[in-house]
Amino acid sequence: MAKKNVRAKGGIILPAEQPAAAGELRPVAWERRVVDTATVEVAVPEGEPPLWDVETRPQVVGKPLARLDGPVKVSGRADYTYDQHPPGLLYGKIVRSAYPHAKITRLELERARAMPGVRAVIRLDAADLQHSSAAAAAAEPGTPAAVQPRQAGGQSRNPIFAGDEIAAVAAESEEQAEDAARAVVVEYDPLPFVADIESARAPDAPRVHAGQPNVRELPAAHGEDGDRGDVHAGLLAAEARVEGEYRTPVALHNALETHGVVARWEARDKLTVWAATQGIFGVRGDLAQFFHLPPHRVRVITDYLGGGFGSKFGAGMAGIVAAWLAREAQAPVKLMYSRKEENLATGNRPSSQQQVRLGAKKDGTLTAIEVISYGTPGIGHGAGVGGAARRIYACANVRQQEHDVATNLGPAAAFRAPGWPQGSFALESALDELADKLEMDPLELRRKNYREKPFKALRRQYEIGAERIGWERRAHWQRGTGPVRRGLGMATACWPTFGGPPATARVTVQPDGTVTLTVGSQDLGGGTRMIAAQVTAEEFGLTPYQVRVELGDTRWELYGPASGGSVTVTSIAPAIRAAAWKAKNQWLEALAPGLGTTPDKLRLAGGMLHGAGAPLPFARACARLRQATISAQADRAPNYQRSLTEMYGAQFAEVEVDAETGRIRVLKIVAVHDCGRTMNRLLAESQVNGGVIMGLSYALYEERVVDRPTGRVMNTDLDFYKLAGTREIPEIEAILLDAIDPRGNNVNAKGLGEPPIVPTAAAIANAASHALGLRLRELPMTPDRVLNALAARA
Amino acid sequence: MKNQNSKRGALSRRGFLQGIGAGAGAAGVLTPAALAKLRPAAPESGSAAAREIELHVNGRARRVQVEPRVTLLDALRQRLRIRGPKRVCDRGECGACTVLFDGRPVYACMVLAVDAAGHRIETVESLGTPRRLSRLQREFVRHDAQQCGFCTPGFVTAATALLRRNPQPGEAEIREALSGNLCRCGTYPKLFAAVKAASKGGRQQRAASAGGRGGRR
Repeated sequence: MAKKNVRAKGGIILPAEQPAAAGELRPVAWERRVVDTATVEVAVPEGEPPLWDVETRPQVVGKPLARLDGPVKVSGRADYTYDQHPPGLLYGKIVRSAYPHAKITRLELERARAMPGVRAVIRLDAADLQHSSAAAAAAEPGTPAAVQPRQAGGQSRNPIFAGDEIAAVAAESEEQAEDAARAVVVEYDPLPFVADIESARAPDAPRVHAGQPNVRELPAAHGEDGDRGDVHAGLLAAEARVEGEYRTPVALHNALETHGVVARWEARDKLTVWAATQGIFGVRGDLAQFFHLPPHRVRVITDYLGGGFGSKFGAGMAGIVAAWLAREAQAPVKLMYSRKEENLATGNRPSSQQQVRLGAKKDGTLTAIEVISYGTPGIGHGAGVGGAARRIYACANVRQQEHDVATNLGPAAAFRAPGWPQGSFALESALDELADKLEMDPLELRRKNYREKPFKALRRQYEIGAERIGWERRAHWQRGTGPVRRGLGMATACWPTFGGPPATARVTVQPDGTVTLTVGSQDLGGGTRMIAAQVTAEEFGLTPYQVRVELGDTRWELYGPASGGSVTVTSIAPAIRAAAWKAKNQWLEALAPGLGTTPDKLRLAGGMLHGAGAPLPFARACARLRQATISAQADRAPNYQRSLTEMYGAQFAEVEVDAETGRIRVLKIVAVHDCGRTMNRLLAESQVNGGVIMGLSYALYEERVVDRPTGRVMNTDLDFYKLAGTREIPEIEAILLDAIDPRGNNVNAKGLGEPPIVPTAAAIANAASHALGLRLRELPMTPDRVLNALAARA
Repeated sequence: MKNQNSKRGALSRRGFLQGIGAGAGAAGVLTPAALAKLRPAAPESGSAAAREIELHVNGRARRVQVEPRVTLLDALRQRLRIRGPKRVCDRGECGACTVLFDGRPVYACMVLAVDAAGHRIETVESLGTPRRLSRLQREFVRHDAQQCGFCTPGFVTAATALLRRNPQPGEAEIREALSGNLCRCGTYPKLFAAVKAASKGGRQQRAASAGGRGGRR
């Protein structure tokens, strides 16, 4: 691709006015301060719109405007997958294993089949249900993959967790489906199982996956962002060392809309599904593969999604089963999981036990970071502890060795910044222990060691955060006396920028003045729709409310990435801007001759066309083109420079601990973040609040409890699985700095979904430990753990 | 707080202690081998006669056929196709299905439809439309007091009940009144701000401070 070298200025845009406390209205400040600038040369691929840099002042992008779909949501009119109700709808229900490991000795479906209203009953115990590609070649389009081995007399797969899928039913009412599911007769021979890390690691432990060891070391990363140097030597060279074990629980996503799909076959080889998913194209691919269909014969729609947090990629069992039941019943089927199913079988954040060793010179310079972790992803995988130990601090000697420990429990899934909150909690707690040992201010220790990079805002974020929380008070506080004790703590946020191609957007301008943006993305709740509208509106000089946004549908065949890893805006917004810019130029070219001018003299601003006599309202200008529809499509260009700066942030917590009850109350969190150019400050603040609150909930309340003798999860509901609610919410100051690196993409976006959850638990733990004068090394920091820690010291 | 009376009825309706959940209550004392001897319990008699009832929903009388075990939530959603109230927990823990029951906020998943006959039910749909939002709904939009939006109908309904009862609540009262509702996206600070802004005091404050932020167009 031909490229053009352009000089551009990067730097950091500081908010001119510090935000008021959460909940207070404040005037919008547009005077901003640009600091730490530097000019760089950027190789911009041809066809890209003019570069934005730190001096660019967009008119619509960046403004704190209320989201486009707010009115629909607050009035209960937003249509989620759960709200779909095509005519003739049936309800699906899955029969799940009652045992963590068993052999199915009898599976009897006839009684269920004979129940009133029942229209389909299927077995889900085929050996290769989830490995369908092998049988694919010869199969007829539309046939479920798993039919083949079952007909060939395939064996039942042994359920390997309590909640594993065994059979499914569809019936005319949900009550009938529940009755039928209960009428399915399953007899089991229980087999030995493991329900916790310790038993799973024992040498003679029952195997979770036949033929595979329970403990698996994860592949190590090497280089600048991975293992480096010699940790042993680094520890020997240290003048201060700390060592400790830190533990985090299994946490459950609990997106409010459960996993679910509504499936309808339009023909034997044509399927439409409404899916509660973070990735419409992933769902399409999975279903196309499972049912032996060309992808374009599967249409996936996700108009609104009730949260996902990483757990909703791919068709999953819900998607496959719903479509399969619909096929058997020859009628549309809705299969929405219950809360219990959601918390048994759709994912979780794995636990961790981390052995951390740190070494440092007297001046605080880190000489060694070592993390050895074990965590359980249940029957799934991916219990690593993220990149905090490797990427945040500049240390010459780093080693992180991670292990998955399989147990007979539901599979892990990506959960907002997978691994990082666990790793952050251990590392940042250990850093505070090291600071204590060095008699050094913990913030000073971070300042001394964080990795400096171009256009990185962390130093500023530390400064602003410290000022807003009143960090200077910390040194003077008496620690660990009296019944109610206050403490201050902090930790660093980090998340790599993953966004990039492929993503495609299309912008269409109709003669009636309608501007439509179409993109193959989905809105999880972060506000993708609004940001798409803002970026489009920016090019046309309109308000975002004048833009029609189409997303969440595969039928346009415009690919967009799954929304995970904080990639959505970073991936799609540059494609949207490029498409809007192209469409605008085409439109101006088409219009100019009729106005007796040339396109370069025309300008769009404030809903008007300027440059040809009196300003012309946009819609009237469109009407001049009579029948012509202008349409332009653009792909996401590769990142201008391959390696981008990560997103950084700093969070500071002030807490109060009651040493008599053991209760920790968070009073205030200051969360200073950077997502490159903040596309919409209002939405960005919501993202930051959300990450902080989820992190707080993880720090203090959330923990999946398993009954070890039976291998069952005891708290699959929202009563005994405690989430932070209205009474636990502290004052939160969400502050966004824009670290603009023009070498990324044409809107200077980075991403914001994950970073705010990374450091919260660590910051709260550090504050609580500061308050108590002792270290809390296990999450969640429930009153019993606090009291035990106090008792152990006494 | 919210309609606890019906909790018992709803639990038995759902048969939580039956079926594959049979051992849960006694799990601590049963060995896996003993548990294996348990068979799934007999299904509830699903065909308990459905009967026709009249529900007064959003100002209209609607006749529906329901079995006695059907909740008000399921009757609203599945029979009357009213989709604002959401089912999230189905056992009175999250508030996403909150409706007004003779003006009081209740969990629609904890009320049997047959028990709602003759009472005045209001769902979020009656509180405003996208084009004609209530003041509270406008403040929700303006403050971005929704993210994924799945809990939003419940919060709007519960907050509407609060403001009808107490037009000028303090923050503690707002938190208390909304404590039966859960939001997983963590929208709380903006929810509190929206309710405050829609309250009597908030309105005056807003009039005093020029502009404010956001707003449509």
